[in-house]
Amino acid sequence: MLRFFLVGVCLQASLCVAECVNVTKTAQFGADYSDGWGVDLRNTRYQARSELTAESAPRLQLKWVYALSNDTPRSYPYVTEDTIFIGDAGRGVVALERETGCERWVFAHDGYIASAILHARAGQRELLIFNDRITGVYAIDAVTGEFVWHARLEEQPLAWFSGTPLIHGDRVYVPVASQEVGLALNPFYGCCTTSGGMVAFDLHTGKRLWYQPTIATPAEQTGSHWFFVQKYGPSGAPVWGAPSFDVQRDILYFGTGQNYSHPTTGTSNALFAMDAENGEILWQQQFTANDAYTAACNLMALNHPNCPKPTGPDVDFGAPTVLTRTPAGDALLLGGQKSGEVHAVDPLTGARVWTQRVGRGGIIGGIHWGLAVNEQAGLVFAPISDKAILDFPAPGKATPGLYALDITTGVQRWHYARPSRCADTACEYGLSAAPLATNDVVITGSMDGFVEVYRADTGERLWVYDAWQEFPAVNGATAHGGAFDAHGPMVADDLLMITAGYSYVGAQRGGNAFLVFEVGGAHD
Amino acid sequence: MTEPLQLAGRPRRLLAWIIDAALVPALTVFLVMVTGVVEDAEDYADSWWMLWVLLLAIGSYLLLNGYRLWRYGQTLGKWCVGIAIVDAKPDAELDANLNAGVTSEYKVTAWWRLICLRAWFFPFSFAILIWPLLLLPLLDHLLIFGRKRRCLHDLVAGTQVVMRR
Repeated sequence: MLRFFLVGVCLQASLCVAECVNVTKTAQFGADYSDGWGVDLRNTRYQARSELTAESAPRLQLKWVYALSNDTPRSYPYVTEDTIFIGDAGRGVVALERETGCERWVFAHDGYIASAILHARAGQRELLIFNDRITGVYAIDAVTGEFVWHARLEEQPLAWFSGTPLIHGDRVYVPVASQEVGLALNPFYGCCTTSGGMVAFDLHTGKRLWYQPTIATPAEQTGSHWFFVQKYGPSGAPVWGAPSFDVQRDILYFGTGQNYSHPTTGTSNALFAMDAENGEILWQQQFTANDAYTAACNLMALNHPNCPKPTGPDVDFGAPTVLTRTPAGDALLLGGQKSGEVHAVDPLTGARVWTQRVGRGGIIGGIHWGLAVNEQAGLVFAPISDKAILDFPAPGKATPGLYALDITTGVQRWHYARPSRCADTACEYGLSAAPLATNDVVITGSMDGFVEVYRADTGERLWVYDAWQEFPAVNGATAHGGAFDAHGPMVADDLLMITAGYSYVGAQRGGNAFLVFEVGGAHD
Repeated sequence: MTEPLQLAGRPRRLLAWIIDAALVPALTVFLVMVTGVVEDAEDYADSWWMLWVLLLAIGSYLLLNGYRLWRYGQTLGKWCVGIAIVDAKPDAELDANLNAGVTSEYKVTAWWRLICLRAWFFPFSFAILIWPLLLLPLLDHLLIFGRKRRCLHDLVAGTQVVMRR
């Protein structure tokens, strides 16, 4: 009996392996579903090439699951007609057969891939571009997975490549933050001297073309603590999110974070317009002044010497800006802030058009990772986290959920207040990950592990999937679902892709499940 | 140096370790602050700062304990509680002494053995907080409950700890 059982297990195992035996190594690049993190260069996060609609959403079914290598995956896939490319932190970039999830090739890289995977053509060559959060920007051959170039920012010793680059023409524009925000936890560290910024590299070679810091004045000593450790400022104003791009005017737009030390600058918590040709700053508009904060402030009770006083409120523009237009055709630049506010400004001048507060805000949002818009419907979708970290700061009532605002006026059209399942367990139930819009729906992933599809015009929740479970993965391992955070969902044709698991912040549940759903079944 | 041999009590050895475990890191932290090896952004552009901190920690250990280890087989902690490290007696001799309740004489262990063999176990004591590294310090320290009260670092260095009169 045991023998029969073992033979059965072996046969089953061999069949499972056999499913991935005849996978071709070469990916096709005939269909292009995104220009980067924001789906298009304007960061609308609206996917036109999708079959997911209010009508088809209830027919979504799990198609396959791929087990990633760590429990805080932070990469966003690039999809072609037959391949899905995704970063697997600690392992590399993985090219997966779109239909089955089987691996075509792996570009081995042991760092933390933190960005979306981007695609570009450099002459005859297909390239994939991505960030390692610490070591910089990489280009690999998209067909073979071979290394092409690596670039880093020599001027900035502690650059943090957290935001996804943007590619236009022969240039790769890379947002730059700084590790000092976390390094300040070390009380012997002389906080802080570095600035955020934007850097442009040549697409073909990785050669640095220009670099523009967000703080022009070099940091100077402003004091000391414990007799020996010197303090410096100004510093900070990091660029966390992917820039948006005006193709007609050749202008980059992006937002900045708070200062890391005093004195504060007028460039923190600000929206920027920058000449993509040379990095010249065209305008900047600050929305929250005198905001200085580091990770040391999360330890308020310890009165950490590297927590700047006065402190906070730490309300970055972590979310990438969105260059959009109203139904009347007027251009607007949208910025979602951790304060829980959405701002709309004139992209030519930076003049404020409207501001709408939809959350109480906090150091993890408010609006954390991004917005999405549906220009035809005239709506911007703002996910609210309102997560409280330790005792700072977030006064008032948390209102996590999804908000739809009128693009033209900022008036709230509808609001979906997410129910909580966190009463009996340590978790958060707000929306931190960036949403995605397509056709007449909006898709979100919540911090308590639900993928949800909403009707864009009413906010009715059409479909929900609980990812807090284990999955048998196509690569032979067991995948674990967790919190949805960071880059959020992607759709292409009949597929919905999203990564479950993110334990980077607070009590969020880690996981390693790259989930691929498919619109299946017959029409009713 | 010769003195009567009497094994050091476990509470004394624990107290000596606590004193050393407080003083050496405290001096290391002070030196790290004064020298500023982890103070500037440039320091973190590569991993050399870890080597500097390690060297400062070794320097702190030697500054505090080097001389007394050489002359008397004592760290500062052991000096405070009146115990010392000596060459281990052969098992048979030690057994005989312990069984008969008689005393013997000891010889201070050679400095190079104290530093090159025995002292390396000291930083690992702190790893008792880190799984799975805790297995080494756990094994090291649990051996003190043997009859001869010789920890792993004593066995490696060929030492034992005795009362110093």
